[in-house]
Amino acid sequence: MADKSIIVKDLTYRYGKLLAVDHIDFDVDVGEILGLLGPNGAGKTTAVKMLTGQIRPQEGKAILLGHDVVKETEKVQSQIGVCFEQTNLYEQMSALDNLKLFAELFGMKDFDGYALLKRVGLEGRERDKVANYSKGMKQRLMVARSLVNLPQIIFLDEPTAGLDPVSSEAIGNIILEERDRGATIFLTTHDMWEADKLCDRVAFMDQGKLAALDTPRNLKQQYGKRSLIAEVAAGDKLEKREIDMDVDSTALEVEKLFEKEKVVTLHSEEATLEDIFIKVTGRRLTE
Amino acid sequence: MNGRIVRALLKKDFALFMSNRFYLLITIVAVVFYVGIYFILPSDVDERLSLAMYAPVLPPAFSQLTTQDAAEIELFESEEALKEAVLDGDYQAAIALPADIMEVWLAGGKPQITVYYSAMAPPEISAAIVALVKELAYIETGQALNFDTTEEVLGPDMLGDQIALRDRMRPLLAIFILLIEILTLASLIMVEIEQGTARALLVTSMRVSDLFIAKGILGVGLALGQAAFFMALVGGFSHQPLIILTTLIIGSLMVVGIGFLVASFSRDVMSVTGWGMLILIILAIPGFGTAIPGLLSDWTKVIPSYYLTDTVSRVANYGAGWGDIGTNLAILAGFTALVFWAGIMVLRRRYQ
Repeated sequence: MADKSIIVKDLTYRYGKLLAVDHIDFDVDVGEILGLLGPNGAGKTTAVKMLTGQIRPQEGKAILLGHDVVKETEKVQSQIGVCFEQTNLYEQMSALDNLKLFAELFGMKDFDGYALLKRVGLEGRERDKVANYSKGMKQRLMVARSLVNLPQIIFLDEPTAGLDPVSSEAIGNIILEERDRGATIFLTTHDMWEADKLCDRVAFMDQGKLAALDTPRNLKQQYGKRSLIAEVAAGDKLEKREIDMDVDSTALEVEKLFEKEKVVTLHSEEATLEDIFIKVTGRRLTE
Repeated sequence: MNGRIVRALLKKDFALFMSNRFYLLITIVAVVFYVGIYFILPSDVDERLSLAMYAPVLPPAFSQLTTQDAAEIELFESEEALKEAVLDGDYQAAIALPADIMEVWLAGGKPQITVYYSAMAPPEISAAIVALVKELAYIETGQALNFDTTEEVLGPDMLGDQIALRDRMRPLLAIFILLIEILTLASLIMVEIEQGTARALLVTSMRVSDLFIAKGILGVGLALGQAAFFMALVGGFSHQPLIILTTLIIGSLMVVGIGFLVASFSRDVMSVTGWGMLILIILAIPGFGTAIPGLLSDWTKVIPSYYLTDTVSRVANYGAGWGDIGTNLAILAGFTALVFWAGIMVLRRRYQ
C-alpha cells in the first residue's frame, strides 16, 4: 500500500442518466507516469475531478497518498498539483503573481517564482500580464502553477493539446523531470505519441470504463503486430513488401527478399497505441 | 478560517479590482457623482409661500392675494382638484373657503375655512395662513372678524421637520453607492467562475469558506468604504455617527449577500449586469420615498432597503437615537442574515 500513490476502487459518477465513469478500478505506483487515454467524452476529466476532490464520487472510493479523497480532501489537495485542460489563469495578473498567489495558498515559504518560470522557459516574461502570453506560454505557466507546492502527485489534463512542438517538448521534459524527482504523474491525453513517449503505463478509457491498462510495450505485444516494410524497385515504380516480425520465418523471408528483389528502403513498423485502442475498443482516440 | 489564505485571496481580489478599469471607474465615478449631486442640490428651504385656493364666492379683497410677492396663489375650480394639487406637491398649502363666507361674516358669524397642508410644508405656514386670512377679512369688512379653521395634512405630516432637499436625498445617494457594489462583487465572482480560476483555487488547500470570507471582506470593504466616505463628505455623521456607521455596515453585508445571490443565478457577466440592475432599482425605491415624503406609500416597507434608508434619514436628518431605530436595524439585520446565508448556500453549489 505504501508504494501506491493512487488506489481507485469501483469509482463511479453519473451526470443525470449518463454514466460518465463506470465503476473503474486501478492503482498507480509512487513515481510512475500513468497515461489515461480516451476520446473526448470518455470520462477522463470526470475521473480526474473525482481524484482531485472537485466532485464527490457517487460510488466507490479513491485513496491518494493514503488519504481518502472525500473524507480528507484538504490533506489530499495540499499534496497534489493540478493542471487543467482549459486555461484558467488570472489573465490580468503577471505570471509571477499568479504563481505567488498559489504559493501563498499552499503556504510555501521561500518560494522562488523566477526559478520555476525559468524552468518552464518563461524567463524574461515573469512580470508580463498573462493576457499577453501566447497559448503555449499560458500552458507552460499552467504546468508551472501545478508544481508550486512540490506536489507528490501531479494531474495533467491534456497539457499539450493544441500546442506547438517546442512547447509540447518542453512540457514533456518537465513531466520526466518531475517523475525523476519522485512525483507520480497522472496524465490525461488523447495524444498517443505523447503517451507512448512519456508513460510507464497507459489506461484506455472508453464510455466511462477502463478497457485496458498496461505498459505501452505490453499492450503492443498483446494487441499489435510488428513488421518490416520494404520498398522494392519494380520497373520505374516502387512497390511495398511487408514481412511479419513475430513469426519464426522472419529471417528467412528477409533473406529471400534481398535475393529476389532490389530493395530500396527497409524499416520496421509496429502498432501504435492508436491502433491498439481501435482494436480494444472499436473506436478511434480522436473521435 | 485560514488567515494566511484569506489574506492571499484578498490581495488577489484587490489587485484584480484595481486592474479592472471598469470596476475602478464605476467606483470612483459613483462617489464623485453622488457627492457632486449632493452639493448641487439646494441647501436652503424655499420659504416662498405657494398657495392654492378654492373659493366658490371670492371676496374682492381675496383677489389681491394674486398680487402678493411673498405668495404664489392659484385658484381652483373644485375642492377635489385643490387637494389633488397639494398631494401632487404642487403647493405647500391650500385654502378652501365656504360658499357662504360673506353672508356668515356679515351676519357676525364665524365661517369655517379649511386649510390643507402638504407634508413638506414648513411649520410657520399654519400661522402665516391664519394671519393672511385675518388681514384679508379686515380689508374686506373694515373690522377684525373671527373664523374657524380646519387643518388637514395631506400625506405624512412633517410640519416642523422640513429638511433641505439635499439632506433628504442623502440616504438615497448613500444607498446608491452601497448598491452599486452588488454589481462589482457579483461581476468579480462571475469572472472567476467563467474563467475557471475558481476551479483552480478549489484544488488547493483552501476551503470554500475561506473564499467566501475573502469575498465578503472585499465586498463590505468596498461598499462600506465608499458609503462612509460619502457620508463623511456630506456631513452624514454629524448626528449619532455610531448608529450611521452600524447601519452602513449592516447595509454593506446585505449588499455582499445579494452580490453572492446575483452571482449564483447569473450565467455570465452580462447576466450579472441585468439581474444586478433590476435588484438595484428595486432596492433604491425606498430611498425615493425618503427623499420625497408622500411620494410612496407604505408598501415600500416590504423592500428591505427601506429600513436602511429610513434609519439613515431619521438619524442623520432628525437626530433619532438607538431607541427610535432599533426595530429598523433588527429587521435590516434579520434580512441581511437571511440573504447572506442564502447567497453562500447557493453560490457554494455554483462553485462546487
